Amino acid sequence: MTFSVGDLFLILPELLVITAACVVLVLDPVLRGPSKDSLVWVSLGTLAICMGLTASQVSGPTAIFSGLVIIDAYGAFWKLLLYFVTGLTILLSYSYLKEERLYFGEYYGFILLALAGMMVMVSADDLLTIYLGTELMSLSLYVMTGLKREEPRSLEASAKYFVLGAFSSGILLYGISLLYGATGSTRLPEIATVIAGQGLSDPLLLFSTILLAVGFGFKLAVVPFHMWTPDVYQGAPTSVTAFMAVASKAASFGAFLRVFIEGLGGLKANWSAIFLLLCIATLLIGNIVALIQTNVKRMLAYSSIAHAGYALIGVVAAGRMEGSSGIASVLLYLALYTFMTFGAFAIVAMLRKGNIEGEEIEDFTGLSKRHPLAALLMLIFMVSLAGIPPTAGFVGKLYIFKSAVEAGMTWLAALGLIFAAISAYFYLRLVMVMYMREPIDHSDTAPHVVMSPTLSIVLACTVAGVVIFGVYPNPLVSFTMQAVLILK
Amino acid sequence: MTVPVSYYLILSAIVFLTGVVGVLIRRNIIAILLSVELMLNATNINFVAFSDHLQDLGGQVFVFFALTVAAAEVAVGLAIIIALHRSSSTINIEEFNLLKW
Amino acid sequence: MTGFPWLTVLIFLPLIGAVVLFTVKDSSVRLVALGITVADLLISLPLWWLFDASSGQMQFVEFARWIPTLSINYKLGLDGISLPLIIMTTVLMPLCVLISWHAIETRVRSFMAMLLIMESAMIGVFCALDFVLFYVFWEAMLIPMYLLIGVWGGPNRIYAAIKFFLYTLAGSVLLLVGILVLYFQGGHTFDILQLSQRSYGEALQIWIFFAFFAAFAVKVPMFPFHTWLPDAHVEAPTAGSVLLASVLLKMGTYGFLRFSLPMLPDASRLFTPLMVALSIVAIIYGAYMALAQADLKKLIAYSSVSHMGFVTLGLFMFNIQGIEGAVMQMVNHGITTGGLFLCVGMIYERTHSRQIADNIGLTKPMPRYATLLVIFALSSLGLPGTNSFVGEFMVLVGTFLWSKIAAALASLGIILAAAYLLWMIQRVAFGIPAAHVLPKLRDLNLREMVTLVPLAVLIFVIGLFPNPVLTRMHMSVEKVIARVIPLPQEETSALNQQVPSSTQQGLTANVDLTISRGTTSSRLADLSTKEHRP
Repeated sequence: MTFSVGDLFLILPELLVITAACVVLVLDPVLRGPSKDSLVWVSLGTLAICMGLTASQVSGPTAIFSGLVIIDAYGAFWKLLLYFVTGLTILLSYSYLKEERLYFGEYYGFILLALAGMMVMVSADDLLTIYLGTELMSLSLYVMTGLKREEPRSLEASAKYFVLGAFSSGILLYGISLLYGATGSTRLPEIATVIAGQGLSDPLLLFSTILLAVGFGFKLAVVPFHMWTPDVYQGAPTSVTAFMAVASKAASFGAFLRVFIEGLGGLKANWSAIFLLLCIATLLIGNIVALIQTNVKRMLAYSSIAHAGYALIGVVAAGRMEGSSGIASVLLYLALYTFMTFGAFAIVAMLRKGNIEGEEIEDFTGLSKRHPLAALLMLIFMVSLAGIPPTAGFVGKLYIFKSAVEAGMTWLAALGLIFAAISAYFYLRLVMVMYMREPIDHSDTAPHVVMSPTLSIVLACTVAGVVIFGVYPNPLVSFTMQAVLILK
Repeated sequence: MTVPVSYYLILSAIVFLTGVVGVLIRRNIIAILLSVELMLNATNINFVAFSDHLQDLGGQVFVFFALTVAAAEVAVGLAIIIALHRSSSTINIEEFNLLKW
Repeated sequence: MTGFPWLTVLIFLPLIGAVVLFTVKDSSVRLVALGITVADLLISLPLWWLFDASSGQMQFVEFARWIPTLSINYKLGLDGISLPLIIMTTVLMPLCVLISWHAIETRVRSFMAMLLIMESAMIGVFCALDFVLFYVFWEAMLIPMYLLIGVWGGPNRIYAAIKFFLYTLAGSVLLLVGILVLYFQGGHTFDILQLSQRSYGEALQIWIFFAFFAAFAVKVPMFPFHTWLPDAHVEAPTAGSVLLASVLLKMGTYGFLRFSLPMLPDASRLFTPLMVALSIVAIIYGAYMALAQADLKKLIAYSSVSHMGFVTLGLFMFNIQGIEGAVMQMVNHGITTGGLFLCVGMIYERTHSRQIADNIGLTKPMPRYATLLVIFALSSLGLPGTNSFVGEFMVLVGTFLWSKIAAALASLGIILAAAYLLWMIQRVAFGIPAAHVLPKLRDLNLREMVTLVPLAVLIFVIGLFPNPVLTRMHMSVEKVIARVIPLPQEETSALNQQVPSSTQQGLTANVDLTISRGTTSSRLADLSTKEHRP
């Protein structure tokens, strides 16, 4: 066991985020009225500092705290993505919480705590730290889901999320314990060494792989472990939904890929068969069930399930080939998915119908007449989610399907593309409702988009990402290539 | 005489499965919460047994963390259940039907 | 090749124009849109004369690295096949703006922006020499067209828009898979010229042929994938119909000619009977359906199915007459059908009906209109002296060389075309109007004359002097044929040895070898075209 003070410098971003979370939680009861806005600026400032720190850490792997945590380009990639999403979430929440009349300073504290958990997840090199990070993230998210305490729907979503989240954590932990028994360590590099020596001779190893796949399957919302997703996404405050759909999925993928590629890389052939089944089921259920949704948040929930399915195509491909281009495509896909999904949720959050959210598809009727800009942005996000060029969604799919073909699974690429064509129907239905139907209701309570400066920033960032990376993805691509180099 | 590690594994498997079945069939959230705790404790049995078997302290360290996290989880869980009980005066999961399961 | 980036300017001028459109005053939106399309036309015209007809190679090539990690490049170029199609597109665009001058009253700005985005994408499709770039332009067209039909279309527009979108999207999903497979089989490149020089196993070719077929056949549309076409045409606003019929359909046949034939020669030969059968069915079925239509737009839509059948028929003859005739017919159909749809749009603005029964006997009130309508209709039925005659005749000659029966069956389509078009003219132009049906109709004003006359002039220019067009495409078509029809064994191996060393040399050798073989056929083509000169 070695511990040096220098290690603390390397986890400075994590420490800063946790400190800021504590500061926000402590200051909240002290501050009154408008001065609570300062909590927002404290949070955003912390993120900016962390972004600078992490950006300077994009370097070769350094294992610290006797291998519990590793600082490398892979972790830095996810962390930068998570800062970005968290920043957007805070900006969106600033407007959203005002509209919802939710005045909780803790809210920002919980966002930062969840972020800290995610940061630990993506830079953990030991199953223990991965578990701790996952729990810190999940516990914060359970609370944030139930934040609208006046609304039974929100509490119900929170309870459901909690029950299934705790259940999946239990399964994950059981898998970890079996893996520990089979390999004698919880550290990923040591697990990899043992597996490289013995292969799949131990039945415990197979069990633990399956249990870990199930545990992560819940976190990633992969069919058949997706049941919580639509309910929780619908019930939670929309800003939290956006955060969950993007950040928690990204962090879970970050930890998941590290465990399965770095730790269980020797069992590639075995787990890629498992994920192939999950992937097909996810694409099927996600895209088909989304067709019949009438609530936009539920529709986007199924869409996010389906997108996890596309990312899994890349994972399966990565398991079937040498080289790291498969994993790079997954990273790229999730980064691009971030922009379009967050943008879509941001517009849903700010579409107000009187005092409540307009979250039914019907509420978008004729939006292009009442708010042309919001409708145009939603159009761009939907087109991107459907994967039509020249948007980010197309670039992501291009790389994913290219990996599948490279791994010799042309049929999987064809299947994915067929589902992409099916998904275009429900994305385009929203476009149709916005552009081709006349507004029904002309009164004051008619659904309208509440614009605010912070929302404008959020939308500008997301739409810029969708369009710019759709045309010129090179910087992001080379970053992902660099990030996955160490996962060998 | 030492007990072979497989005995512990079978015990923990039984406890774990009891927990899983409990989560799936019980309708009272408190009972579900207890079942989740059973699952976590099955894990702890595993860790301690393996730790002893492998002569490695890492497993026992893990148990400490798992216990702590479980405690935090229960705290958050009970808080949510209380809030839920206040708003709908029931903790039977079948009566929560605002959202489709 | 360095120099002025003609093609980039040509592609992106309308796109920039679409953005500029949102900054100008409401009153000048139409004028600005017209100005941009005319500017694009003026930029495209010099290409016609700068183009070197004695070369079958890509000209005006532009190259820039785009996504190096996948070796995707921004590569553009023109050959004799794409040049006429691009000019046709740029000629039609100002006309589309003009026809929408008063027809579109709501959200004019967005409408014009959509037209301009469409123009960018359409020109891009014909210029792209990188497969991913091609796919980007190809798909980018879907959303503007979806909105054009869905927002500004007729009463049943939503159904038509979604049908159009899903059909074409479903068709093109497999195209991307085919492209990716070719990327790995063809040496990790998306370069269309390089991919066209490799040889692939026959089984692979068959799979990819089907993947491409799904995309292109839906777009053409070939029988039995044509059902989206009548709906889309009937519901789309006039400008949308014109773009759909004149340009979008050509993208399908262009795809066959640019990709399926040169990249998959073995599979193309193998499936020739199938393609010929589908083409002939389309020719006859489309014409037969057109006979039964009471709606003018539907009539023209089905006539498009029939005419596009000639194009696919000619393409799969693999001889110089067939393919040159097909390219000719692509341009001609664009001009003629575009003109017909413009005519229908004009009469709809006046009588608010597209039913033949509601528009009878227009010669009296609208002599100018009737004259032009007759010209377009006669061109559509392939009257000698008009452009369509040249194309259809060449296709038939090409078909005749392959199979007399097929040529005879295809000729049936021309007879049926004469039937439905003459019957339509007889009623619409020369029928006896019921007095109460037609109020006093205003004849074409200056704007409308400016819209129609250029197309009418083109009909006769191409009909009487087709050679400028034919000579420009000749070398490019020869190149395609050289790929599809295998050369004698020793020449093939000599060619294959040269190709990897230097692309340029390989191309030249390719052309040299085929010229000696192509002389007889090209002379025949010359003869066939000279016959119709006055």
